[in-house]
Amino acid sequence: MSMRKATPILGSKEDIAFREALKLYDAKQYKKALKLVDQNLKKNSNHPESLTLKGCIIYFTGTKTEADLYVRKGLARSPTNHLVNHLAGIYFRNVENYAEAAKWYKAAIDNGSQNKQILRDLSTMQVQIRDYKNLKESRQLYLEEQPGFRANWTASAVAQHLNKNYDGAVSTLSKIEGLIKEHLSESDKVEHSECLLYKNSIISEAGNFGKALSTLEADEPEIKDKLSVLEYKARYLMLLGKLEEASKIYRILLQRNPDNAGYYSLLEVCLDTASKPVEIRLKLFSKLQKFYPRSDPPKFLPLTFVPADHPKFIELAKSYILPQLEKGVPSSFINIKPLYKDKLKLKAIESILLEFYNQKLNDKSVQPTIIVWTKYFLAQHYLYLNDLVTADRYIDEAITHSPTLVELYIIKARILKHKGEFIQASEVMNEGRELDLQDRFINSKATKYYFRANNVDKAIDTISLFTKLEEDAVNGCKDLHLMQASWVLIESAEAYARLYRELEKAKLSNEDADSEGADENEDDEDVDEKIELYKGLALKRFHAVLKLFEIFYNDQLDFHSYCMRRGTPRDYIETIKWEDNLHSTPIYSRVMKGLSKIYLDIYEQQQAAKLKAASAASTSSGSKNKKNKKKKSKAQGKKREELAAKVASEKEDQDPFGTTLLNNVVSNGNGKVLDNLFELFKPLLVEAKDNRFTWELAFELYVRQSKYVLAMQAIKNLNSVYTNYNGDNKKYKQIGDMVLRLKETTKNDPEANVAIVKVVEKGLATAFPDLTKGDEEFMQAYID
Amino acid sequence: MGITIRKATINDIQAMQNANLHNLPENYLLKYYMYHILSWPQASFVATTYDEIVHDEDAPVEDPKGDTSYINKGEKIVGYVLGKMEDDPEAEDKTPHGHITSLSVMRTYRRMGIAEKLMRQALYAMCECFDAQYVSLHVRKSNRAALHLYRDSLQFEVTSNEKSYYQDGEDAYAMKKVLKLDELIPGLMQKAEEVDDLESDLLA
Repeated sequence: MSMRKATPILGSKEDIAFREALKLYDAKQYKKALKLVDQNLKKNSNHPESLTLKGCIIYFTGTKTEADLYVRKGLARSPTNHLVNHLAGIYFRNVENYAEAAKWYKAAIDNGSQNKQILRDLSTMQVQIRDYKNLKESRQLYLEEQPGFRANWTASAVAQHLNKNYDGAVSTLSKIEGLIKEHLSESDKVEHSECLLYKNSIISEAGNFGKALSTLEADEPEIKDKLSVLEYKARYLMLLGKLEEASKIYRILLQRNPDNAGYYSLLEVCLDTASKPVEIRLKLFSKLQKFYPRSDPPKFLPLTFVPADHPKFIELAKSYILPQLEKGVPSSFINIKPLYKDKLKLKAIESILLEFYNQKLNDKSVQPTIIVWTKYFLAQHYLYLNDLVTADRYIDEAITHSPTLVELYIIKARILKHKGEFIQASEVMNEGRELDLQDRFINSKATKYYFRANNVDKAIDTISLFTKLEEDAVNGCKDLHLMQASWVLIESAEAYARLYRELEKAKLSNEDADSEGADENEDDEDVDEKIELYKGLALKRFHAVLKLFEIFYNDQLDFHSYCMRRGTPRDYIETIKWEDNLHSTPIYSRVMKGLSKIYLDIYEQQQAAKLKAASAASTSSGSKNKKNKKKKSKAQGKKREELAAKVASEKEDQDPFGTTLLNNVVSNGNGKVLDNLFELFKPLLVEAKDNRFTWELAFELYVRQSKYVLAMQAIKNLNSVYTNYNGDNKKYKQIGDMVLRLKETTKNDPEANVAIVKVVEKGLATAFPDLTKGDEEFMQAYID
Repeated sequence: MGITIRKATINDIQAMQNANLHNLPENYLLKYYMYHILSWPQASFVATTYDEIVHDEDAPVEDPKGDTSYINKGEKIVGYVLGKMEDDPEAEDKTPHGHITSLSVMRTYRRMGIAEKLMRQALYAMCECFDAQYVSLHVRKSNRAALHLYRDSLQFEVTSNEKSYYQDGEDAYAMKKVLKLDELIPGLMQKAEEVDDLESDLLA
């Protein structure tokens, strides 16, 4: 190609003006830069650098589509011009298209750019898109260019590490250690310490614990983070079978942090106490309690391993629980709740409490607060047992006695919630809130309970007492989005979803009642409008949480180079792993749970409408005719505006009610509702394989999409989630139901591929041999 | 539910942000938590529950609760301390010193000394890993519980009174505590009648 000849780089007048414009662009003087670029393009509308730079500028000053157009024009004119390539890289980075950005940064280098900083930007893009193979290369090239900075050695080692080249990474890190040893200044020491630990963690990751230990001991004087040294050392010693030595280290660790329950467990492993009589373990813990009288684990842990019928259990439980009641520790009940999985322990604790309670009741000299905290405990105890009447009695008595104790209202509200009295529950929680207006925790609780009572307005008004209010904002809704308050967004999405479902349900039963009356009255129209509003808002809030996950993923971008300079590669590697599993966070599943219900509702409604349309094309009662809607009065318009101000999630929200979002799901996704949902759900298949929900939803989607082999695989995966947990082969009814449902669906699907049906049939029979005995007997085997 | 206190990691930050949003009016974007962990990985700590220690073999597997405070099954964050070193190039005092960005414990887990324990871990780590000579923080004038913790339990001193420090106009006390490593070992702060000699047989 003669492209280069046709447009010599930085020769013409245009090129000089371009260079000037580039400087202005770098200085963020976009208007001035644009002026120069436009002058250039007037003279030569094909000047590729100017075209591309114009795109970059417009990204900041104009619309994205226009910006994109100019960048692509520039690239088309001169795809091998490294200046154009570089600008394109910058542009795509700005629009967060990192794969494309990497491509053009790479092109800039391949096409002869001498600007070595591009390598650094390139490597940032490569790690962002997890292209580790090419990352290694660009980091190495940059290191060769700038070997005088430790950061570049660290960055190169990180790239090797991410490629699982452990030896290479360790050797790179050791090389720079050697080079820098004599030149370390005081301010380098933290970085140095971290890099030594990083090297050590790689040696152990490669499985060489002996070498990791000896290296650690040699490096120890230069490592400041002694906590890591001790934790690494103890772990290595354990893995090398030197338990006695390891136990000593855990004792040092306990002295540093006697509230870390993990250390106690590991100490026990080192001392091999699990194989020894309970008495020995008790002795150990009584010593540890003496060393650390103010720490919780040495008091609590014995309660987990001493059996309920052991002569000491009662005494131990008493000395754990009763002082907490005397002190008024609000978590006294929650603290012992895990023991309740053992029914005998539950009974034992119950009798301790009742005895204590009766004794205190009759004791005139006792501090009244102790009785209140005991009632508070007992209320939670009976709530746990689902004995709501007794729970209610205790908490009411407590409130009568101490009407200003906020904690009591929390439990009272929770009991009401369990009774299904959501509105009353929210009112009680709010009473509690009013007792301590300074405390955001109780404010959050009241907010949550308003959401649960489907009172979104009240919820938002309540929490808005603690949010920032921009001028012209009527409530904290925008701030809550901005501050990433995912719990609020989810609660609010779920409340809106309940609201629209309630209306839909009521409407259905109304339609059934007067199926004769074909006329639509205004009430119906109102109801439809409300259903649409709530459905839109539910979708919008759920999607707002999904957006947060996108932000969280993008947040790592700056750290790819920052951590190298800062010298925090260990935690950087953890961050990469964390980002790769971000969607395994429980709330992502919760969002998908809510979102999938809405998408599936829409899907089922569309399927039903299709059927209806096919069976009776003439009747008009099925789908609503939107054109019939009367024009809105001015008053209604104003009301709508006020509402928009309340629910908007950002300034100048283009879609405050989620109407567009809803329409997109419904119409754009025509026939593709399930595909669109699947796109959002997909990360769970990789990142949350151990969750039941993942395979339950996968099954539901695959069956509806007629992907029967995948549906079968989903059942199998769900079954392994069950069996992996308890290591048994219990047969759960849920699994049985799914197997039969899949079997029936494939058999009754006239469009199903015969070969596929065979595969599923065979596969099910192999995985679930009971199936050969016939459906009924099969289901009998699959009872929980 | 037992409570355990340990160093915060990147895996904890979403639940830390959640605790902060539940408890305090001063909130931060998740990236700011990332910045803390990735700049001073040793300076932040969390208090979590550990429910799973008692494994119920009869119960079928349950997914982790979809509650934003959970990071794992049975493991939820009930308190945190977010610590940093002073890194403002404009800061007057160039001696290395730490700063507490945020500390909170869920109301339902108070009165167990969790906040104090979190603080002691953070102070020790800042001093040991970053040579912090002292640590500073701000506290609302009206927050008596916090004042009590800092002044009485942890021996901080009020250094100044900052007018309208908070968004809502409330004043803050600026407080600081000078750090000396060998006086900070958390396990030796408990006034125990016996100290582990780290050698003798614990099972004897």
